[in-house]
Amino acid sequence: MNPLSIQHVSKTYKTPKKEDLLAVDDVSLVIAPGSIHGLLGPNGAGKSTLISLIAGINTPTHGSITLFGLDVIKNPEAAKGLIGVVPQEVVVEMAFTVQEVLYYFSGMYGVPQAQRQARIDQALDDLQLTEKKHEKAKNLSGGMKRRLMIAKAILHQPKLLILDEPTAGVDVALRQKIWELVRRLNASGTTILFTTHYLEEAEQLCDAITLVNHGKVIKEGKLKDIQQEFSKNIIHFELFNKSVSHPSDVVATGSEFEFPMTNLAQDMNMITTHYGDNLKNIRSEAASLEQIFLTLTK
Amino acid sequence: MSISLPQTGMWALYAREVKRFQKLWMDTIFNPIVSIGLYLAVFGVVAGDRVIHGVPYLAFIYIGLLSMNLINASISNPAFALIISKNLGTIIDLQLAPISPWRVGLAYALAALTRGVITLFVGVLLTAWFIPLGGIAHPFLLLLAIALTGIQFGIVGVAFGMWAKNFEALTFLTTFVLQPMIFLAGVFYPIDSLPSPWNIISQFNPLHHNVNLLRFAVTDYADGNPWRSLIIVITLLVAATVAMHYIVKKKLRAE
Ligand SMILES: Nc1ncnc2c1ncn2[C@@H]1O[C@H](COP(=O)(O)OP(=O)(O)OP(=O)(O)O)[C@@H](O)[C@H]1O
Ligand SMILES: [Mg+2]
Repeated sequence: MNPLSIQHVSKTYKTPKKEDLLAVDDVSLVIAPGSIHGLLGPNGAGKSTLISLIAGINTPTHGSITLFGLDVIKNPEAAKGLIGVVPQEVVVEMAFTVQEVLYYFSGMYGVPQAQRQARIDQALDDLQLTEKKHEKAKNLSGGMKRRLMIAKAILHQPKLLILDEPTAGVDVALRQKIWELVRRLNASGTTILFTTHYLEEAEQLCDAITLVNHGKVIKEGKLKDIQQEFSKNIIHFELFNKSVSHPSDVVATGSEFEFPMTNLAQDMNMITTHYGDNLKNIRSEAASLEQIFLTLTK
Repeated sequence: MSISLPQTGMWALYAREVKRFQKLWMDTIFNPIVSIGLYLAVFGVVAGDRVIHGVPYLAFIYIGLLSMNLINASISNPAFALIISKNLGTIIDLQLAPISPWRVGLAYALAALTRGVITLFVGVLLTAWFIPLGGIAHPFLLLLAIALTGIQFGIVGVAFGMWAKNFEALTFLTTFVLQPMIFLAGVFYPIDSLPSPWNIISQFNPLHHNVNLLRFAVTDYADGNPWRSLIIVITLLVAATVAMHYIVKKKLRAE
């Protein structure tokens, strides 16, 4: 049973001017059990909207979504119980402490009272919030609040964990901690779907990615396959003197330049002829996710 | 896919909402008691030893005031909590959790009833000694009437809190709708003492039947048939529950 199956899902919002805004446009997507799946795309691509549809807090205009075979619209409570969601927007209770937030929220997911405390302590430890256990949630720092949101989502041991930019606003060391936790959860059988704007994180973690832009899926599959497909298509080179004229389609990426090729020999030849002695080195290698992302969302 | 899962969830949500008002115990306990005390002091002085239909006037309005408190607490507790949570965005917890909409509403309504009962209990403890009550005529009916009234207005509070966009709407409800209805429900006087057509119109005030039932349970005096009031209260509870379910369902999932 696939943790998530999305069939031809669209979502139209009404703008204040009563125009239609197609935030998700005929998206189909299947996530395999046990995978770590990255949902990537620029701001406004429709990632969070798609997640809200999966989480059953928003209704698709068209299409159907099933979680472990359960239809989210027809069987919302059973479906919701199987997933954990870390929303992009950080929100906190004003009245409650960290401990109380976790205690009641896990209860709302049906975690029996007797098991709650052990799970809370484990999650607090995993997310380095133990010291803040009795602090009011509203008094946490921004990054701590986000970690609290993650803790809330894992207490009921969901079979599919969905994280919408879980590391935004979290410092480097703790980001590593969060991904360690995600890896550990995945190793123990939790399927992961997440979004991030840190593409190197996605590159390190994902088995598969789905790239969306303007509400549409523009690329999806195993990260390795996609990288391979792209690596054949990019020539990297360095120049001694960068302020010279370039053939069209050459892109500067820091100290390097890139050229999307169609034929290896021909294009290598063209570049060596064009730059002559100015060429420091030239090679074709695996494209980074960042390059793929920029190429596809251009 | 255990069927019992949402139930645990509902009770956890109930416990959370009880915890929320427990943190505001000054507000929960003392506000209503101070207001009851003030009303009693004023009316006690004015009314003296008057007796209405065999019931001492002070006892008559005492029950009315306690009913008014129960109704107020039951409506405003969930309405406040829900409007705040919509403003903060924490409403997403209710949207994500695997609890069906009517159970979400019921959890809030039961918390409202709990708050109402605690207020009532403390209020009675602190004030009953100077009220010439002379016992409770129908204790079981009293418990039933308290439970029905607390849940009924708790559910109204849930529906309103889910529907209302801001506190202005809540102020409007309490000031322009609830307060007049409470005052015209026969809290301070028997409605048969009203001139026509107000005595008839008051019969159509749903709150009148809650107050009437509660007062009958304590004093054995009723404005009109108390059993009719009981049936009306139950009918309105069912109607409010259906409306609440519809509103909560609509609000917890965006269209
Ligand atoms: N509730 C809403 N009402 C109207 N329009 C909305 C609503 N939510 C999102 N949108 C619009 O839908 C589009 C997609 O938004 P969404 O939040 O899904 O993007 P995203 O991919 O998550 O972006 P980001 O990376 O910035 O989080 C945007 O144009 C946004 O303005
Ligand atoms: Mg987003």
